[in-house]
Amino acid sequence: MFRRKRSGQDFAEEIKAHLALEEDELKNEGLSDDEAHRRARSGFGNASVARERFYMKDRVAWLDHLWRDLRYGLRGLRRNPGFTLVAVITLALAVGANTAVFSLLDQALLRTLPVHDPDQLVVLNFAGATDGHWHSEGGSARGHIHEFSYPMYKDLRDRNTVLGGLIAEVQSDVGVTWNNRAEAAPAEMVSGNYFDVLGVQPAMGRLFVASDETAENANPVAVLNFDYWKTHLAEAPIVGQALLINGTPFTVVGISAPGFHSMVFGHLPALYVPITMQPVLEPDWAPLKDHLQYWIDLVGRLKPGVTRTQAEASLNPLFMALRTAEFSILHDQSQKERDAFVSASHLNLESGAQGFSPLRSDVRTPFLIMVVLVVAMAVVNIASLQLVRAATRAREFSIRFSLGATRSQLVRQLLVEGMLVGVAGAGLGLLVAPRALALLIRWMSGRSADDPVFSAALDWRALIFTIAVTFVASVLFSLAPAAQFWNPRLAEALGQQAGTGAGGSLKFRRTCVALQVGFSLLLIIAAGLFMRTIRNLRNVDAGFSTDHILAFRIAPEIAGYPQTAIAPVEQRILDNIAALPGVRGAGATNDPDLSDDDRTGDVLVTGYAPKPNEEFDVELPWVSDHYLQTLGVQLVAGRYFTSADTATSTRVAIVNQIFANHFFGSPGAALGHHMSRPNQANTDAMIVGVVRDVKHTTVRDAMTPMAYTLFAQAIRPAALTFYVRTWQAPDAAINSIRATVAGIDTKLVMSGVGTMNEKIDDTLLFERTIALLAMAFGGLATVLAGIGLYGILAYSTAQRTREIGIRMALGARRGTVVGLIVQETILLAGAAIAVTIPLAIAGSNAVRSQLFGVSIADPAIYGAGVLVIALVAMVAGFIPARRAASVDPAKALRNE
Amino acid sequence: MTTQKNTDDRIALLQGTLDLLILKTLLLGPRHGQGIARSIQRQSEEVFFVDHGSLYLALQRLEDKKWIGARWGVSENNRKARFYSLTAKGHEQLAEKTSEWERLTRAMGLILGGAKSGAEV
Repeated sequence: MFRRKRSGQDFAEEIKAHLALEEDELKNEGLSDDEAHRRARSGFGNASVARERFYMKDRVAWLDHLWRDLRYGLRGLRRNPGFTLVAVITLALAVGANTAVFSLLDQALLRTLPVHDPDQLVVLNFAGATDGHWHSEGGSARGHIHEFSYPMYKDLRDRNTVLGGLIAEVQSDVGVTWNNRAEAAPAEMVSGNYFDVLGVQPAMGRLFVASDETAENANPVAVLNFDYWKTHLAEAPIVGQALLINGTPFTVVGISAPGFHSMVFGHLPALYVPITMQPVLEPDWAPLKDHLQYWIDLVGRLKPGVTRTQAEASLNPLFMALRTAEFSILHDQSQKERDAFVSASHLNLESGAQGFSPLRSDVRTPFLIMVVLVVAMAVVNIASLQLVRAATRAREFSIRFSLGATRSQLVRQLLVEGMLVGVAGAGLGLLVAPRALALLIRWMSGRSADDPVFSAALDWRALIFTIAVTFVASVLFSLAPAAQFWNPRLAEALGQQAGTGAGGSLKFRRTCVALQVGFSLLLIIAAGLFMRTIRNLRNVDAGFSTDHILAFRIAPEIAGYPQTAIAPVEQRILDNIAALPGVRGAGATNDPDLSDDDRTGDVLVTGYAPKPNEEFDVELPWVSDHYLQTLGVQLVAGRYFTSADTATSTRVAIVNQIFANHFFGSPGAALGHHMSRPNQANTDAMIVGVVRDVKHTTVRDAMTPMAYTLFAQAIRPAALTFYVRTWQAPDAAINSIRATVAGIDTKLVMSGVGTMNEKIDDTLLFERTIALLAMAFGGLATVLAGIGLYGILAYSTAQRTREIGIRMALGARRGTVVGLIVQETILLAGAAIAVTIPLAIAGSNAVRSQLFGVSIADPAIYGAGVLVIALVAMVAGFIPARRAASVDPAKALRNE
Repeated sequence: MTTQKNTDDRIALLQGTLDLLILKTLLLGPRHGQGIARSIQRQSEEVFFVDHGSLYLALQRLEDKKWIGARWGVSENNRKARFYSLTAKGHEQLAEKTSEWERLTRAMGLILGGAKSGAEV
């Protein structure tokens, strides 16, 4: 059937022969030449239809008509430049934004690890209470704790029967010195079987084996990441040589394969060391032998043929046994604790093909909101544009239909037009996409990110997805006019042009425009709520002034400082900076403020009997003696720390009001009492002062109890975040501060330099992202709604020319006529606004937890939104109103 | 007027009927399209009018089914024309269709004739 047996030409030839034969015969019968010719032809019926039918019989008619439809479509679009431009731009923005969003989404959520058989990987997490230090990478939620203790890891690894391997990973920042050059670099502490189980190959040398993970401090070997080796070490022949990590020599045994970074999404380690070397990397704590320190992420590889469910069922008895053993060493042996710690605990396996990602759960919500917003915007706008266009073409299609065009022909042509718009929009969108992606990454990374987690590469799958979505939207809604001529009352459509313009299609268009107006208002309100939230959060009273504060972090251990030298050099840095001109004060803490960082724990307080089952966790920063004064935290009772409080003098503490009120009833009563950490020697300190409560974790979180102690009196040295309060703009002081630090030791690395307000902004990522998107799309939607509104008003005004003419002939004044248009505008926009506002309130209620200090029905925001819409409606109504007012009654009536 | 009858008296051919008529016409020997049309018209005493467009599509259909064959040749008055002839398969089909048709017309005749006689009683 698809093979042509006969050419069309051959068929035409036969018909020609037939006509000639018939003509001859008719002439023989006595007809004149002309009459014979005419009769032969008429006898044939319609020759061209026959030929046509012959063609259609054997061919896919599509191909034959495609070119014609394409040319016709192009002409149609050119005739309607306004529509074409807006539709293409809408699509382009949607494609650009979508591709960008999906490229990020893909990186964060969808991409599998570049390892052997990623589908066999499972990420371990557990439900159950924890006790002791919890070193979270993030991504842990109630019932899904991703951190395990090292003894637990070894037991699970060695005693299970369902995993082909179980690997451990912890991220840590270290100082790397090679060829006398020191720099801070992220490292990954891994189990000996890490590379083996993942199936990662060496690019050079060898990777770790089980014998690289033997005992604490016994395995000073390192593997370099390929990218780090290439970009930071210039591909030096380093395998077999030693480099210093935190001052300790490690032998580089190999370089990992290009493309591999970590089993954890977002980690970009420079090098890998065995987890047994933890004391060198993180000298300030010792979790390796501790059953109650939860700090390691675990990923397992299922044995072939074992399913996730089977493995989970098999691992849980073992896990419960280990939890029972851990419970036996707990301080609290109550039944309640047993229930929470043992009975309620359960080990879960989740799919690990994409690697473990603490970031994933953090970004999922904003990403999905963005995606839904973008897709909804694109579809609604394209749909409404096509529908508006469809209405104006009702007459055109009715005429073509009654002139003999078949429905399938008309549908085909509409499809071609939809495709043309789709192609143009997608093409332009692909130009926009890289810029949109760059913008998004800047927003996602915040200002202070040193190594962006996301790469700026557009993903081809994202591209295809985007094009598919916009194509479907464009093509689908391009069929809108078809819905109209499927209407049995076709003849009415033809006659509809005259009259008062109250046809059904106009009602439909009005609905569309009202929807757009409503959607714009919704977005404007969303933008307003989040902008207000951001402003409120920025202006929130932290309890101290966050202006004119420069923040940065220095970890002397990275520069190779021995434990005993760390606190002295930190004190020297503080003293030298405080002496700089333009500096009002300098302080430091191991627990940075307002940057989503916590160091909490419980405390024992002398003279206080805890209530049964009391849990009162306290924030426990180690600070410098001038820290509180530098930030400006007000003293309520007692005294501040002074330079007389040194490493060798009596240990002292300052608590805040919440702390004092909880334990002692009033600030004054706290003075002179002693507090200490349970089970930690040398932590006993006397409370010498009480300060005002200030915000600590983030500006959004409630204030918490706090107990400040001195870093100089702490049980071990710590890396500190420095705060310098300046007289002038803090940026101006950066150079002199850098020079001062370099003057003490060029090996000291300052990281995360920025003002405190910038750090606060970094914690407002979600709010900023939503506000930006709502603003951008709200603006776009408003413009589109304006165009739609104008279209409706202009159309109905044109249709009512006759009506207006009659009214004016009967004595209506121009003002009355303009009033007609204004009335229609108000009716349309007003209806949309009235419907949208309850929706907006309901929607805001759903994101209430993300808002701060702003009512979900804030009258100012809603008022401003309505005002913007009203303004747009006025502008949209202006031109049609003026045209209506200038109608000449005599002409208008002659028009028909 | 002419030899042709008034259009109103003509009967449009049913689909399928045309196929049978073509095959029957070709039983007498190879013919070109115009000849077939004329032949059908004449043999039916001008009752049947063959729409020539439909005729050629029917010819094409039969050719596709291999019931008839075709080749280009020259007509008696020296014009180039495409001549159709019956194949073996066409012969079989003609016999089959003819008996089918006869059964049908007999049945129709019984019903129509019976109804008429009933009405006269």
